[in-house]
Amino acid sequence: MKPFTIAWVNLKRLFRDRSTYFFVFIFPLALILLIGLQFGGDFLPQVGVLATEEGTTATEIVDALEAEPGLEVVPLRTEAELVDQVERGNLDAALTIPAGLDQSLAAGQPAELGFIARPGGTGAALAPVVGEVVQRSLLAANAAAFVSVQGLGDFPTSVALAQQVENGIPAAEVTEETVGESLFPASLGRFDLGASSQLILFMFITALSGGAVLIQTRQLGLSRRMLSTPTSVTTIIGGEALGRFAVVALQGIYIMIGALLIFGVHWGDPVAAIAIVLVFSAVGAGAAMVIGTLFRNAEQAAGVGIMVGLGMAALGGAMLPLQLFSPTLQRIAHFTPHAWASDAFAKIRDQGNIIDIAPELGVLAAYAVVLILFASWRLRVAITRP
Amino acid sequence: MANVMEAHDLAKRFGDLVAVDGVGFSIAPGETYGLLGPNGAGKTTTISIIAGLLEADAGKVEVGGETISPSAIGPKRRMGLVPQDLAIYPDLTARENLHFFGRLYGMDNNEVKERSNRVLEMIGLTDRADDLTKEYSGGMKRRLNIGIGLLHGPELLILDEPTVGVDPQSRNAILEAVEALSGEGMAVLYTTHYMEEAERLCDRVGIIDQGRIKAEGTRRELVNLVGQKDRVTIAAAGGQLQEAARRLSGLEGVEEAGADDQGITLLVVEAGRLLPVILSELSQNGISVSGVTIEEPDLEAVFLHLTGKALRDV
Repeated sequence: MKPFTIAWVNLKRLFRDRSTYFFVFIFPLALILLIGLQFGGDFLPQVGVLATEEGTTATEIVDALEAEPGLEVVPLRTEAELVDQVERGNLDAALTIPAGLDQSLAAGQPAELGFIARPGGTGAALAPVVGEVVQRSLLAANAAAFVSVQGLGDFPTSVALAQQVENGIPAAEVTEETVGESLFPASLGRFDLGASSQLILFMFITALSGGAVLIQTRQLGLSRRMLSTPTSVTTIIGGEALGRFAVVALQGIYIMIGALLIFGVHWGDPVAAIAIVLVFSAVGAGAAMVIGTLFRNAEQAAGVGIMVGLGMAALGGAMLPLQLFSPTLQRIAHFTPHAWASDAFAKIRDQGNIIDIAPELGVLAAYAVVLILFASWRLRVAITRP
Repeated sequence: MANVMEAHDLAKRFGDLVAVDGVGFSIAPGETYGLLGPNGAGKTTTISIIAGLLEADAGKVEVGGETISPSAIGPKRRMGLVPQDLAIYPDLTARENLHFFGRLYGMDNNEVKERSNRVLEMIGLTDRADDLTKEYSGGMKRRLNIGIGLLHGPELLILDEPTVGVDPQSRNAILEAVEALSGEGMAVLYTTHYMEEAERLCDRVGIIDQGRIKAEGTRRELVNLVGQKDRVTIAAAGGQLQEAARRLSGLEGVEEAGADDQGITLLVVEAGRLLPVILSELSQNGISVSGVTIEEPDLEAVFLHLTGKALRDV
């Protein structure tokens, strides 16, 4: 029970520090949200449409845009609203359909539609999509305009006739085929990738910052005082390791449940997901103890801990997906536990279960054992020497 | 009665530095043993070995008949350690600190609560028991530091310079507490470099310097060991002071005697024992005594004699 007593004090001390609540619980979820919003996979661009008059062609264009998959059409009422919404980023782009479009086309005069978007980003990328939809919508109108200009019939009747004919003409079909493996599965949700990355990154940084607490405990003479009680060195080390583990595992499970409930993150097989969190927590606990025994003061350990945590996260694919790394860099990345944890999460997102991730769990467990054994030896020396 | 603690020929070296060199002493139940020496004399290393924090290179320590080492569990149940530096969690309350260490001493819930309450009362922190200790004054922290060592009712309490950096009021409270504990039968090992504390508290004192115990015994034994005498100054009037002084110098135990207009000054062995004889002699010679001052040689003088340096100079 004594290891639990020591671990419990570690947890109690952690939650006495108010900054814990922000860095351990709020900040990770905020980053998952931010990354999901920026790079999310099921993002639906919104295009505002300002149709100043409900003519035949305008209706045709709006209907075609609404029928276009991957776009959401938002009707607008005024030019000012259009500009404001795009400028604020509430809309990705907007299309203006001018008044008298049908009349212009019927008279054989050029018609001009306005498209606005913020520079760069999604809006600019939408220009060709919207342009293609508009061009397609104008095919019948252009044919009707020809008939009307040639005096062979009136414009509205000709448009209706052209649309009927258009629908009956078999269209040429372009078939798509993808070769090779896709970088990310099509089912990947907008928050899924960011959630597992942030989970790994924050668990490890929280763990390493725990190294500073370990140094503080030693500096305060508390480790030696524990040793003066009928408590073995092994029990003290076990308690400290359990404390670090509990802190990291608690954060990992919290992020997992929070991201599932708030963002609907798909983690995959829950048993396998929790297994990854627990084994990675053990790696973090070992790393924290190594940091806590290698340095002499808490400030030094905290600074190095954050640098190492961020560096390993970047290298191990917790900042940028491993799939984007070169093969050489991917091999190097797998010197970090982060890469193995990322691989494990990727597997279970893609229908894998705990058996499928056994190799990754095995490697992570090996990391944990090596780190904890090394740190235990260092801590034993630190406690039993003046 | 068997000794609570026995240390035999302890030795500890750190590289070229010999920190402890053949230290040995014992403490009986109810006895307060003082290790008196300057900083760096080897007191804390000796205590670390006795408390089972440090492995000795040679020698052994037995507490309650069991040999102690960092891996020994049994004898540690019998002792409480009060380290020199505060060893308390600043972000826990006093009660939480006590509960934590109580658990490490193997107490169950009820026992921890009951003993914590008793200790909090003893150290005068009941009212502040649920405040974080980082909000405590230095003296309050010191008292809690001691309280943790007392929590499990040890047979041997080890206090390593517990009054360093403590205000006079808290210092006095600590000394009174140690006296009371000793009176209740607890064996106390007390290290200090304050001569007054050793003289006030300790039944026996070991004078330690450069890792060795230079001398050991009661205060009187130590003083006698170095041949120091008590100085007795007698304020007197009337009669023949010079003649009286001459007579007194013939008494056994009186080494020197002199007189002036104000009175008589004597150098004697064990003034307390000889004083009634001296006063009787003066009375018989018609000398009226208006005051007596006895200056006993102190441990400072003993330390100076044994080591060639003053306690506070080192």
